Amino acid sequence: MKMTRRTFVASAAAGIAAPTICTTGAFAQEKVVRISAPQDFTRIYTFVTSEYSQGQRDYFTLINERGGVGGYKLVIDVSDHANDLPRAIEAYERGKREGAVAIDPLSTPVARALVPRALEDKINLITAYSGRSDAADGSVFPYVLPLSINYWSQAGLIVEQFKRIEKGSLQGKKLAFVHIDTPFGKEPLPILEVLAKREGFTLNAFPYTPPGNDQSAIWPQVRRARPDFTVFWGAAVGQTVALSEAIRNGLPMDRVSSSVWLSESDMDVVGRAAAKGVMKIEPCVGGREPKIIKDILAEVVGKGKGAGPEAKVGTGYYNYGVQMASLIAEGVRMAAQKAPNGPVTGPWLNAGLTAIKNFTAEGLLPPTTITPDDHQGGGMGRVAQWDGNKFVPITDWFTANQDVVWDEIRKYSAEFKKSGK
Amino acid sequence: MFYRRSGIRHTRYQSERQLFPLGFDRFLILSVLAVLLAAPFLFDRLYVTGYLLPWLIWSSAALGLNLLMGGAGQVHLGYGAVMAMGAYGSVHLMRFGAPLELAMIAGGLISASVGIIFGAAALRVKGIYLAMATLAMQSIVDFVISQTPAISGGALATLQAPPARFLGISLSGERETYYFALLVCAVITLFMLNVRRTSFGRALAAIREKDYAAEILGISTLRYKLMAFWVSSFIGGVVGSVLAICYLRAVSPDQFHLDLSIQILAMVIVGGLGSVLGPFFGAALVLFAPILINNALGSAFSTFGMTVPIDLRAHLPLVAYGALVIGFLLYEPYGLAKIYSNVRTYLLVWPFRHAQR
Repeated sequence: MKMTRRTFVASAAAGIAAPTICTTGAFAQEKVVRISAPQDFTRIYTFVTSEYSQGQRDYFTLINERGGVGGYKLVIDVSDHANDLPRAIEAYERGKREGAVAIDPLSTPVARALVPRALEDKINLITAYSGRSDAADGSVFPYVLPLSINYWSQAGLIVEQFKRIEKGSLQGKKLAFVHIDTPFGKEPLPILEVLAKREGFTLNAFPYTPPGNDQSAIWPQVRRARPDFTVFWGAAVGQTVALSEAIRNGLPMDRVSSSVWLSESDMDVVGRAAAKGVMKIEPCVGGREPKIIKDILAEVVGKGKGAGPEAKVGTGYYNYGVQMASLIAEGVRMAAQKAPNGPVTGPWLNAGLTAIKNFTAEGLLPPTTITPDDHQGGGMGRVAQWDGNKFVPITDWFTANQDVVWDEIRKYSAEFKKSGK
Repeated sequence: MFYRRSGIRHTRYQSERQLFPLGFDRFLILSVLAVLLAAPFLFDRLYVTGYLLPWLIWSSAALGLNLLMGGAGQVHLGYGAVMAMGAYGSVHLMRFGAPLELAMIAGGLISASVGIIFGAAALRVKGIYLAMATLAMQSIVDFVISQTPAISGGALATLQAPPARFLGISLSGERETYYFALLVCAVITLFMLNVRRTSFGRALAAIREKDYAAEILGISTLRYKLMAFWVSSFIGGVVGSVLAICYLRAVSPDQFHLDLSIQILAMVIVGGLGSVLGPFFGAALVLFAPILINNALGSAFSTFGMTVPIDLRAHLPLVAYGALVIGFLLYEPYGLAKIYSNVRTYLLVWPFRHAQR
């Protein structure tokens, strides 16, 4: 058959138009809660996002296979925003039009731009480990939900852990804070400064230039300062470089810690044996031990319905994804308890999410309580130490220095309230 | 057939010298304008705030850069920093209570006065060396903003844009912000259309072709190069403040990094250097091709029941987008505007082959 230009154009047009028409009616029959997850798979967060998203989707598959939660199926629309604001805002508007009641962009710049929109449109903006730290103040940010310990709380936990190592006093000790020289890297500084005064340790900040793939100039200075403790704060490539440099400069690994952004994948880069002793903050249990992860392995991955490679199941960031998905699902369950017949809207889900009480997701999370005022969930985490093979928790779930953290949260949320609409 | 060009002669200087001498062009531009004016009432919110609004803002920015790159032939790799200064300047002024009209102009002036300092590098260096000098400007501005808490807004480094009013109308709703961006874009477009017909525009063109030849012709390259940087940076600053107030609503340093500069540079080059229409095409391609390819591929995979790993699904559109840009530039190195102009030239006297000029 000879293909004329007209038939070619017509069939191309049909090909482009067909999928957009087909997708709309797919879930029309069931009761559905739609979550939009435009995330950065291609620009900066890359492998972090794919592990996080894999965990999220596997958990939602698990819930849906079991028949949903509270009579609702959970649908997650994953797309790529590449950390680009026009793309993210388009995805947000698209999600809103398709009836999404929550959006999880997993990106600080995107979350910043979406905050005023989400507040206006009453759509739940999930800002786990990203976005504004002051969003923990639910009275100012009713529809922005970090649902996880923010960076200020993480810094508070780390200092508390150092204090425990020193048997209760940091008086006269030296703490080096090596951070990427961006707003994200400088974020914990105010908390550390307040704590330095209160606990009597000296704080030395060592900024390195972004993106941090060469930090060889800064670490010898850190060594010369002879710190008793070292905290390194960065993301992606900066983390592995920082850790390698810390090892090369002979800092004692069991006195080095980072935030939640350290994973098994980073250890492969640094060298599993060399990094032995380094600490990180665990916002949820890592590994494959928790019951939920075992269930996912049996009921989702085992049946060939996994969203990604099986090897990634149970890695640090995978479990962060499961953590967020389980909190959202719990929010839906609470919402369905309050108003079983919906209608499914942003405020409906918000009422559920802010009613989560002592939720542990069968042992995956610390007891998490979200209230309309506290969107952080209590600020509990634990410290885990790398033993050469895996991260082993060395503390129980605990929370520390929340008074300082909340002073800072209120300071900035008040500022937001003053300058906002 | 469309243009009815054959046999039509202008009988008055005014009709020959107007911006669009051909009736069909005037009709086309008025209908596009009419659609843009009616858009908030015709289209869904998704298309107005998700597509048209960013398109107008990015096109305006690309127009400003095109004055410098296409008009005067001076490379600029730091246009994102120029916009950052305008955005921060105007948001800070508005937080101190200045009205938007003033803050916008002041933002433009701040950008222009800093931009001209780095533009002075253009008096000594050219081409790739000027690119490096403007790249340095990008880094310096980024550094100053993120290192000065008074500018960036403290530990969270986010400044909310305060509620704005323009000529008494509150810019809070979707429609108002859209019309405001449309107005700014229209003013900049009109300026760009006309600037080429002024002595300023012609002087820039002479400098673009060969600066010392222009000097011999009596054009002060010192003066006109600095003026080119001044005007272009002013536009960049104004668009930066529109971007901050209408679209981002909160400014933080990472929004104005090198990524933005490269994005706008790509719009100018893909759209067509020196053309007024080009930045509009370029902005549409650079902003929306990734989104559309992403959505089309995503829904194609889900309709045909293919399970594609998410990493591949996310990267395939980038491959397609890259191929698209390379394809366009191979097919027509002068950009998308040139493709349009080729079609237009072909249709001018169609169905006849030739016409007297």
